[in-house]
Amino acid sequence: MLTAVKNQIKVALLSTKYGLMREMTNKVTFIMDVTFMILNNASFIIQWIILYSLKDDIGGYTFKQVLLLWGIAASTYGFAHFSFKKAFSISDTINNGKLDSYLVQPKNVLISCITSDIQVSAIGDILYGYIMLLIYGITIQNFILFSLLSISGGLIVVSIAVILGSLSFWIGKSDSIADTGNDLMVKFATYPDGIFKGITKILLFTLIPVGITTYMPVWIMTEFNITYMSIVLASSAFFIFTAFSIFNRGLKRYSSSNLMISKI
Amino acid sequence: MAVIEAKGLKKEFKVKVKEKGIKGSLKSILRPKYKIVKAVNGIDFNVEEGEIIAFIGPNGAGKSTTIKMLTGILYPSSGEMKVLDIDPTKNRKKLAYKIGTVFGQKEQLWMHLTPYDNFKFFSAIYDIPEKEAEERIENFIKVFELEKFVNTPVRNLSLGQRIRAEIVASLIHEPKVLFLDEPTIGLDPIVKDNIRKLIKKMNKELNTTILLTSHDVSDIEKLCKRVIIINNGEIVLDDSMQNLKYNYLNKKILELRLKDKINFEKEEGIDVIKEKGTNLKLELDTRIKSISDVLKLIDPENIIDINISNTPLEEIISDIYKEERK
Repeated sequence: MLTAVKNQIKVALLSTKYGLMREMTNKVTFIMDVTFMILNNASFIIQWIILYSLKDDIGGYTFKQVLLLWGIAASTYGFAHFSFKKAFSISDTINNGKLDSYLVQPKNVLISCITSDIQVSAIGDILYGYIMLLIYGITIQNFILFSLLSISGGLIVVSIAVILGSLSFWIGKSDSIADTGNDLMVKFATYPDGIFKGITKILLFTLIPVGITTYMPVWIMTEFNITYMSIVLASSAFFIFTAFSIFNRGLKRYSSSNLMISKI
Repeated sequence: MAVIEAKGLKKEFKVKVKEKGIKGSLKSILRPKYKIVKAVNGIDFNVEEGEIIAFIGPNGAGKSTTIKMLTGILYPSSGEMKVLDIDPTKNRKKLAYKIGTVFGQKEQLWMHLTPYDNFKFFSAIYDIPEKEAEERIENFIKVFELEKFVNTPVRNLSLGQRIRAEIVASLIHEPKVLFLDEPTIGLDPIVKDNIRKLIKKMNKELNTTILLTSHDVSDIEKLCKRVIIINNGEIVLDDSMQNLKYNYLNKKILELRLKDKINFEKEEGIDVIKEKGTNLKLELDTRIKSISDVLKLIDPENIIDINISNTPLEEIISDIYKEERK
């Protein structure tokens, strides 16, 4: 069991390495992709600088906490899209019969599929996240905590993408549902949770669990709380388990295809 | 010992039926209609260890669906199957270590990597220790003569070189059974011949059992001793190549070049296929008329040249497909 996990991780890391090698063949594009993503994220901070020049507290957050919120949101998103890019197009993979090559390999189909490609610009998101942490105030403890929370949040984001994309096994094309779900996760992640009330807030901690991927991590980073930490880690495990269960159940309905396919 | 066993294997697909035009599209949203397509309809066959078997049929006959079930890609609707005594639906991963697959229409290699790096990646997928992997790769490079292009990125290889690399990548874990789905599709005759040699070599040197699908009759003729023909999801013929030729080669083609044009009367057992000036092409059924019967009908002085040949295997197979359709 342990050897199998080790081998699966080895293959996933090799995929990432080969993906990076491919992207680095064009040095200029590679550097531009990463740099422009950092600049793109940074441009949003300007609106917050303006808002905080008018008010000291927005939705219960100080300016530094907003920076931390952006940092966590960016690195969570970055980790998910860099390591598991294919999770966000899994509906297309299922519909066009592109799972065949993973099904004939002696590895877990879902992991092999979603780790088979990388998104270079997501490196910019990860770097931006750590720059925000640096501005917020970096220590060894909060560096570890930040990294752990970005990974657990990223795994939830990936799991949701897999769950929504796997609906394709039953309803045909589910890419628009998956895209909407993934967009909602991003859009709500960059605002202080204090501005949301009532039913919206409930949704943000359940159906669109931005509360668990971003808000709780900010609370934990501001003041460590073991209960919140346990909720984040348990939720992460729950979403991963649900994603695997739904995908594996759907796999029995997979119908392949005879499209000409190439692996780029 | 049978390495592949299929018993009553069926695969049905539920397909949405849509009427023409926008009206039809609207109707299909409000009241969708479905039909069941029987892609594979209860097939039985066994493949013995070390065989190279042709699994052929027209497009949509159920060949690829059968291979996909045997390799664990698709779940069968019903029936039983075992490959190397393993049920692909229950133990896909265990089976994957022992089988190899090449789909001529689907690339498995990373395009920006060299074949060598691809082989290393596949070695990791099959958990082959680094040192052993390197030894195997070196051996394959020598045996299958890949020296010239093993360090060139796949995207810069010719189609023939790429397919060779694809086949070798599928052999890296030394599979006992290899499924080749149209491996020679789109290749020129010389490259096709190279691929055939490679297939023969791995069957001979590694005793790999090979199930091959192809629309190219030469592949089948040159490689396989046994042929299974599938049509409309059912096996219509499962016989040795020798028997296939023997039973279906009652027909002979007679090509005649004559001095003077003759009016050939149509007779039972003789068909005039082509008549152009003094050239005549006849097909005769030797069960009804012998060659000497035909020659008696023509003045020997009038014959300049004569050529007698068997009906091409391609025609035999296509006749079997057509008979089934009737």
